[in-house]
Amino acid sequence: MATLTTRTTTSGLIALGLAGAVAFLALWTLLALSGVVQKQFLPTPLGVLQRFVELTQSPFVGHTLQQHLLSSLGRFGMGFGLAAVIGVSLGLAMGWFRWLDEIVTPFFDAVRFIAPIAWVPFAALWFGTGIGGPTLIIFAGAFPPALINAYRGAKFVDVRLLEAARMLGTPGWKIVTHVLLPASVPSIVAGLRISAGLGWQSLVGAELIVASSGIGYLMVKGQASISTATVMAGMVAIGLVGVLIDVILRRVEAGIHRRRGRGE
Amino acid sequence: MSNIVFDAVTRVFRRDGKDFPTLDGISLEVRDREFVAIVGPSGCGKTTCLRMAAGLEFPTSGRVSVGGKEVTEPGPDRAVVFQQFALFPWKTVWDNIDFGLRNKGVLEAERRRRVGDIITLMGLEGYESAFPHQLSGGMQQRVAIARAYVLDPDVLLMDEPFGALDAQTRTVMQEELVRLARKNPRTVLFITHAVEEAVYLSDRVVVMSRRPGTIREVIDVASVRQSENWDRLERIEEVMDQDSFVHLRTRIWKLLREQQAPNDH
Amino acid sequence: MATARSTPGGASRGRRAVWVGAAAFAVALVLWYVLTTLTGVIGSARFPSPPEVFAAFRQLALDGYADGRLHQHVLHSSKLVLMGFAAAVTAGVPLGLAMGWSRRVEAFVNPIFLTIRPVPPLAWIPLAIVWLGLGDAAKVMVIWFAAFVPSVINAYTGVRSIEPYLLEASRMLGVRGWSFVREVLLPAALPHIFTGLRLSLQASWTTLVAAELVGAALGLGKVLNASAQDIFPAMILIGMVFVGIAGGVMTCTLALVEARAAPWRQG
Repeated sequence: MATLTTRTTTSGLIALGLAGAVAFLALWTLLALSGVVQKQFLPTPLGVLQRFVELTQSPFVGHTLQQHLLSSLGRFGMGFGLAAVIGVSLGLAMGWFRWLDEIVTPFFDAVRFIAPIAWVPFAALWFGTGIGGPTLIIFAGAFPPALINAYRGAKFVDVRLLEAARMLGTPGWKIVTHVLLPASVPSIVAGLRISAGLGWQSLVGAELIVASSGIGYLMVKGQASISTATVMAGMVAIGLVGVLIDVILRRVEAGIHRRRGRGE
Repeated sequence: MSNIVFDAVTRVFRRDGKDFPTLDGISLEVRDREFVAIVGPSGCGKTTCLRMAAGLEFPTSGRVSVGGKEVTEPGPDRAVVFQQFALFPWKTVWDNIDFGLRNKGVLEAERRRRVGDIITLMGLEGYESAFPHQLSGGMQQRVAIARAYVLDPDVLLMDEPFGALDAQTRTVMQEELVRLARKNPRTVLFITHAVEEAVYLSDRVVVMSRRPGTIREVIDVASVRQSENWDRLERIEEVMDQDSFVHLRTRIWKLLREQQAPNDH
Repeated sequence: MATARSTPGGASRGRRAVWVGAAAFAVALVLWYVLTTLTGVIGSARFPSPPEVFAAFRQLALDGYADGRLHQHVLHSSKLVLMGFAAAVTAGVPLGLAMGWSRRVEAFVNPIFLTIRPVPPLAWIPLAIVWLGLGDAAKVMVIWFAAFVPSVINAYTGVRSIEPYLLEASRMLGVRGWSFVREVLLPAALPHIFTGLRLSLQASWTTLVAAELVGAALGLGKVLNASAQDIFPAMILIGMVFVGIAGGVMTCTLALVEARAAPWRQG
């Protein structure tokens, strides 16, 4: 009851955290070693780590882990890049031009609830399983947040800023480049961060189904050969890259906020 | 007997390994059924005093006790009225007021009577099943005061209760609080930065110094109120028109002005 | 610009917007018809024509496709989502509340939670298949992981963003134990909890469709998978449409539940 206000010392909390980590790993190891579950289905944590290192050194289904990751990142870059460019520019335009908003929004609403992954069949049909198909799926995942946030950024610009700009006699196009665009930036960047996260998640799905290389493909092949360690090593790699992408974009976001003199 | 005693209370905040004293040797007694207001420059630690009486914060050294017992935790015997009202948004007016009684284990029939009485007293009839967000700020604060009063607490702790209200509502609430306090006297510790409010409401006004907060002066209002018979006056502006009121107010103003650093405002 | 308050998918749009939207839809339909059926600019191997789509809908609804009729696929998918979602939420929300309330619980659980958290929901699919095969159990497992993470995070955030003065008021009023959880903690965190539920539900749905695409006996993902293999674009489109409709219906139902569960919240 008294928590949230009572203070546990920092060192106490660190100790608890360590205890949690140790308990987790110990339980996992015990379960793996006890023989209750076959080793093939549940490797030890150390076994996963070992497999991870192994995958970085010797190729699995044609490539090493790094090469798989590189090809995943290439697709991710394409899909996310397209979603960012198209989503942000369309979103900004919709925020500025009401008629465009009125035309696009119903369509956007209509497809909003279609899970990105449901684009898989068309993606394969239209663009194949190389880079095109997965790119479309990543695009489908990353596009909505990029568009929505750019739209909000442009639509909800502080009216006082616009009035001030007009009062100072700023010509129309300069209001766009000097007021609207800079004012929308924080919202755009926040949207891109969500966008990247969803794009990365969709990529994994895409590669599970339509790809012939990449980290998702590696996991599918690991699954097919019932190598749980490979699957888990793939999950670790995906998680790490996901965190890395998020950290980078958070940095960018924090940098922008700092320059504008706002905390967080 | 339920008095509030601050005995040589100091309070030191530690941040980044440095000590920041906020209260320095506060000794004060709020006597049984006395209404004491604390005024002082912002950051002088007046709210900290109230929170220590409530058991929400604790002194670094010294002792805070209520009714002779040292304060160790918050409880319904020391009811707090918060500046932000602190009503539960998911409970109706009735349930907000009833909540403390329920926690005390008061029987249903008695609860219904007491909540009903206080709702009438505070002019909240008809709003029993409204949610807080449907009420104006003034009405919300009425509910918060009712919620505190209904507990029949030993002491009432009010932390700038009218600070978030607009000027007109504030005046009405001040008059009502005077009426309520007269009908139903309690030991009250009242924090404010509005000097008029302090003089109008209280028996004594405690003027605090800038941080680290000390008691600068304690001004007796009750004797003036009695000798000048303010209580015959119905409205706040009539009281505030009295020379005796103006005199007290100006004196406190001057004391507060002396606390301010030259470039501080 | 000043009064505009609508968002994509937002509530209030002007009457003009409705007309423009309807007109845009009509134009799109005509364009679709012209490009496919009328002129054949877009071949039906790439994108289906309106009559083909209607025929596919009839076939799926009446005769069945991919081992089931439309309602069977929809019901099967919905059932799995609800099972996994319910299991994840009953575990995730209490855990999130506990982590938000107690720094000790948070410290202890975090190493495990932070390991699971960055793994995208879809990445659990291969593991689920290795462990549980292609049946329903594997799908429920995947959905569980997809829905678990957002429900924990948002319940946690819900507790952490409770106004401190509300907690102080509840202590002052002498609330204790179970009654504190039920009457203060839970309702105060409820808005965030529902945000979490919405995200969880969407993640569950996406993940299930993906899992069914990989392999399933029944379900909308199965329809998509079969139609992709048959190169049957009209059926692909119908599959997507119903993935969207089912997802939308679930989200709206949850919004209704939220409105019932939290009647004190304004607009």
